[in-house]
Amino acid sequence: MSYRETVTKLRERALDPAKSAAALTRETGKPLIGCFPVYAPEEIIYAAGALPVGMWGGKTELKLADRYLQSFCCSVMRANLELGLKGSYGALRGVVIPTFCDSLKCVCENWKTAVPQLPALPIVYPQNRSAAGTLYMKDELARFKGEAEKLLRVNISEEALMAAWETYEDCRAAQRGFVAAVARHAGAIDAETRHLILKAAYFSDRAEYARLLRVITEGLASEAEDSTEASPGIRRRAYGIKAVLTGYMSEPAEILRILDENGVAVVGDDLAHASRQFRVAGRREGCFWELMAGRMADQSGCAFLYDPNKSRGRNLLHMVREADADAVIVFMMKFCDPEEFDYPIYRKELEAAGVPVLCLEVDQQTDSFEQIRTRVQSFAETLGTAPLGVRAGGKA
Amino acid sequence: MFAGIDIGSSSSKAAIIGDDGRLLSVSVHNQGAGTDGHRQALERALALAGAERSDIRFLVATGYGRMRYEGADRQLTEISCHAKGVAWLTSGARTIIDVGGQDSKAIKLDAAGNVANFAMNEKCAAGTGRFLEVMARVLDCRVDELSEIAAASVKEVPISSVCAVFAESEVISRLSSGERPEDVARGAHVSIARRIAGLAGRIGCQPEIVMTGGVALNGDAVACLSKELGHEVLVAPHAQAIGAVGAAAFAWEMARAAK
Amino acid sequence: MNMNERSVTSKELLKKLTALHYEGAAKAKAEGRPVVWATSISPQELLETMDLATVYPENHAAAIGARKEALVFIDEAERDGYSQDICSYARVNIGYAGVGKSEAQDIPLPDLLFCCGNICGTVIKWYENLAKELRVPMIFIDMPFNHSFHVPAHSRAYMRGQIEDAIEQLEAFTKRRFDRDKFSEVMRLSNATCEWWKKATDLAKAKPSPLNGFDMFNYMAIIVCMRGSKEGYELFKLWHDELAAKAAAGMGPWSSAEEKYRVMWDGIACWPHLSTTFNALKKHGINMVTSSYPESWNLRYETNDLEGMAAAYSSIYANRNLDYDIGYMKKLVDEFRLDGIVYHSNRSCKLMDFRQYEVQRRVGELTGVPSVIFDGDQTDPRSFSEAQYETRIQALAEMMERGKGGMGL
Repeated sequence: MSYRETVTKLRERALDPAKSAAALTRETGKPLIGCFPVYAPEEIIYAAGALPVGMWGGKTELKLADRYLQSFCCSVMRANLELGLKGSYGALRGVVIPTFCDSLKCVCENWKTAVPQLPALPIVYPQNRSAAGTLYMKDELARFKGEAEKLLRVNISEEALMAAWETYEDCRAAQRGFVAAVARHAGAIDAETRHLILKAAYFSDRAEYARLLRVITEGLASEAEDSTEASPGIRRRAYGIKAVLTGYMSEPAEILRILDENGVAVVGDDLAHASRQFRVAGRREGCFWELMAGRMADQSGCAFLYDPNKSRGRNLLHMVREADADAVIVFMMKFCDPEEFDYPIYRKELEAAGVPVLCLEVDQQTDSFEQIRTRVQSFAETLGTAPLGVRAGGKA
Repeated sequence: MFAGIDIGSSSSKAAIIGDDGRLLSVSVHNQGAGTDGHRQALERALALAGAERSDIRFLVATGYGRMRYEGADRQLTEISCHAKGVAWLTSGARTIIDVGGQDSKAIKLDAAGNVANFAMNEKCAAGTGRFLEVMARVLDCRVDELSEIAAASVKEVPISSVCAVFAESEVISRLSSGERPEDVARGAHVSIARRIAGLAGRIGCQPEIVMTGGVALNGDAVACLSKELGHEVLVAPHAQAIGAVGAAAFAWEMARAAK
Repeated sequence: MNMNERSVTSKELLKKLTALHYEGAAKAKAEGRPVVWATSISPQELLETMDLATVYPENHAAAIGARKEALVFIDEAERDGYSQDICSYARVNIGYAGVGKSEAQDIPLPDLLFCCGNICGTVIKWYENLAKELRVPMIFIDMPFNHSFHVPAHSRAYMRGQIEDAIEQLEAFTKRRFDRDKFSEVMRLSNATCEWWKKATDLAKAKPSPLNGFDMFNYMAIIVCMRGSKEGYELFKLWHDELAAKAAAGMGPWSSAEEKYRVMWDGIACWPHLSTTFNALKKHGINMVTSSYPESWNLRYETNDLEGMAAAYSSIYANRNLDYDIGYMKKLVDEFRLDGIVYHSNRSCKLMDFRQYEVQRRVGELTGVPSVIFDGDQTDPRSFSEAQYETRIQALAEMMERGKGGMGL
């Protein structure tokens, strides 16, 4: 399969999660376990012979969820509960609900009553990732493994766990390679396609996904700079602004199209749904449990993990400089407390360093984008890059 | 004779019940709390019943302006009064959906027609009559014309903003991008129906479902709500004035109990 | 009690201790001693042992809210980029850290932050931001949410480990040794104070209740900030004795009205609208006799049992699963002979709010007691509508009246 066909394949996989999940279990014969945001012990599920799939909301009419949640709960949590109540998660055997924020804690508790046919496996990651925290995490993961074994009626061996770790580490390396290639060849892949390719991981067997992703990464590198051949998602076009995205997730994807229309190329991200999942490489030494705990301990600048150094602003600045980006664009998930708390701090740091910041308040269910379009366009205008069509070419 | 008066945020309603418990008259006046609409509504109801103020032995006030109405023997919430009014005029209702200007409510009734539980909208105007008023303003029509306009809809224009203020700008941009007012009106009804269905879900919506309040007169909105709830929604007789009817019924009962 | 001379009332003592508390912190700052800011249900035993002057931003924000001054600080925080959707205590406090003074009460800025995650995850973010903005160190004790009914063993061990770490951090910060003997004494005293707090609030089980629950909101400030001190102990003992005397005399909560209905209040007070929320209840003869708070500071464990202490702190209502919460509410309905429940859907507190609908449903089914939810906020005055509140409370009163065969019929 050519890299262009691979792009199309992964785009399609991400565009219809329900269909992709059904296909995944049909093709692999493996049971699926849904994983709520933000981080889940996917390796353990994988080692149990099941496949983890991501549950990051989705577009749906919010109606049934109102029985449990007030309107000021974030749209992703409301959507997950809604879809659960509607029975849209029929392909799943159970769900993992890690409780990284107050809304997740409550949604987990509600889920037990609201969607009893899909057993919830709660997991509480340590916020203090000290020695005591690491010890706790190992125990919590082991407890979780026991629960997963019960649910899936399997025994998970140490070898299977290590093999799953290796598969995931390999996949994360491929994901890092992909985002680096997109940054190097800015404009080769539009923002929406970049998002969809990364999103496809959540509905894939990671071993297969890593292979496909490498095909794309290599394709991007070998693609001739002047190629203009059109194919979905691959449009080499001029762009005026290189941006780093931050926030919870870059949906609704319409906004990414608006970025594209305005000549904004995404050269990096700090999104919980994207790079935060794979940017930290595992440590080299230790048993499975130590490796798993270590990778969480090494994560910094994530809104959902206690960070006394508040490194997010510094990390973003570093990303901006590495990628020679012009701006940071925030996808601020409405009602997401952890993200909303981080914003004033990193905004101040970025602006002090002269990095323009555009904050877009987003709600996964929005389908009115006029205001966002205006804001993106005027942001592009203030950065001194005239809209496409007026200007005679981009940076590339 | 016994009177009930319901002083809402945008209209006032009055009802008169005779000594035998029969409903003699109802009236609706399109001015609410803070105006003298309540006086006008009462005068009209009295005139229709062929009675005078001095004939009224007991008066119960309800609605948003009930606290500031001085002529009442007792004041009760519209929750109790809507339930009472529905029980007085119909039978078999287990759920009342009342969409008023300020508040919308889903009221769960026990077998005897008493309030068992209720849920109300959150503080904002989403899912209330106010939302439709805003929509009517944008569509440049009267609120009572919305139903007819929406009836000509061929597709629904989804309105995703729950907040009336944001919905207003969303609708303006929809219209400017060429959407038809008919479809926007339908979209507004679907939007409000969804909010109300969510509210009803919280108390466990059981048939029969009876709708009261001004929005009950909007046939298209009622149809949208039936669809959202998956069950036919009946419109209460004197839907807009049923709070006043319930208040008058309470007046009748209370006066008799006091004897 | 010596009846010959007029002894001080608990209300007077409460006022005096509140003043002493804030004066103590100001004095410490003036003398160059460090000041700590801490969360409301954190293991203050450690700070008390170290003799560290501590103020509690939640208490302070509540005081600012009650003085109707919150918007000054909320506006400051929102100008800084804080969303109006986040906890208003946090917005008030972060705003205060910027403004530095208030009419209600001034507090010195902190030299150390002490944060415990048992009350919510929001405090982690809030204190992180303070640490960054004010450039002060932060000690954080994580208390994992209990999705199981009891606190799991590995969670207890984790918390004990963190308490040991916190002690080391405190030693490093103060450059003083942590006195284990004093620690034992503080633990003993804190338990005793909590016991009297619980005993006092339990007196509201009497019918009529000698306690007006809105008074409990006021006393809460001291159980937060002085439960490890002798003065705090004495206050709650005194309050208890007063209430016991009232109960023995058959006295109700108010002198001007009879207690007709007994309700519990779920959630934090609506500080900017305290009198409105109180009066609307009292008008119908509704006395708020309890809430989840009496138990929240009933922090009891064996002296010197660090793991037990951690488990006690981890076992509060906010950190427990729905089965616990519902069982606990049912117990309150039974023990306090409640007629109804008022749920405050508090825009600030997602952790409480997003369980409320289900708690309401299941407690309603279990007990048959009517209830009502109203929208408000602990300190942001904009999230409350008086007319909506009054209608809902009256509707509750009407349901309770019907429950008693009333409605004047």
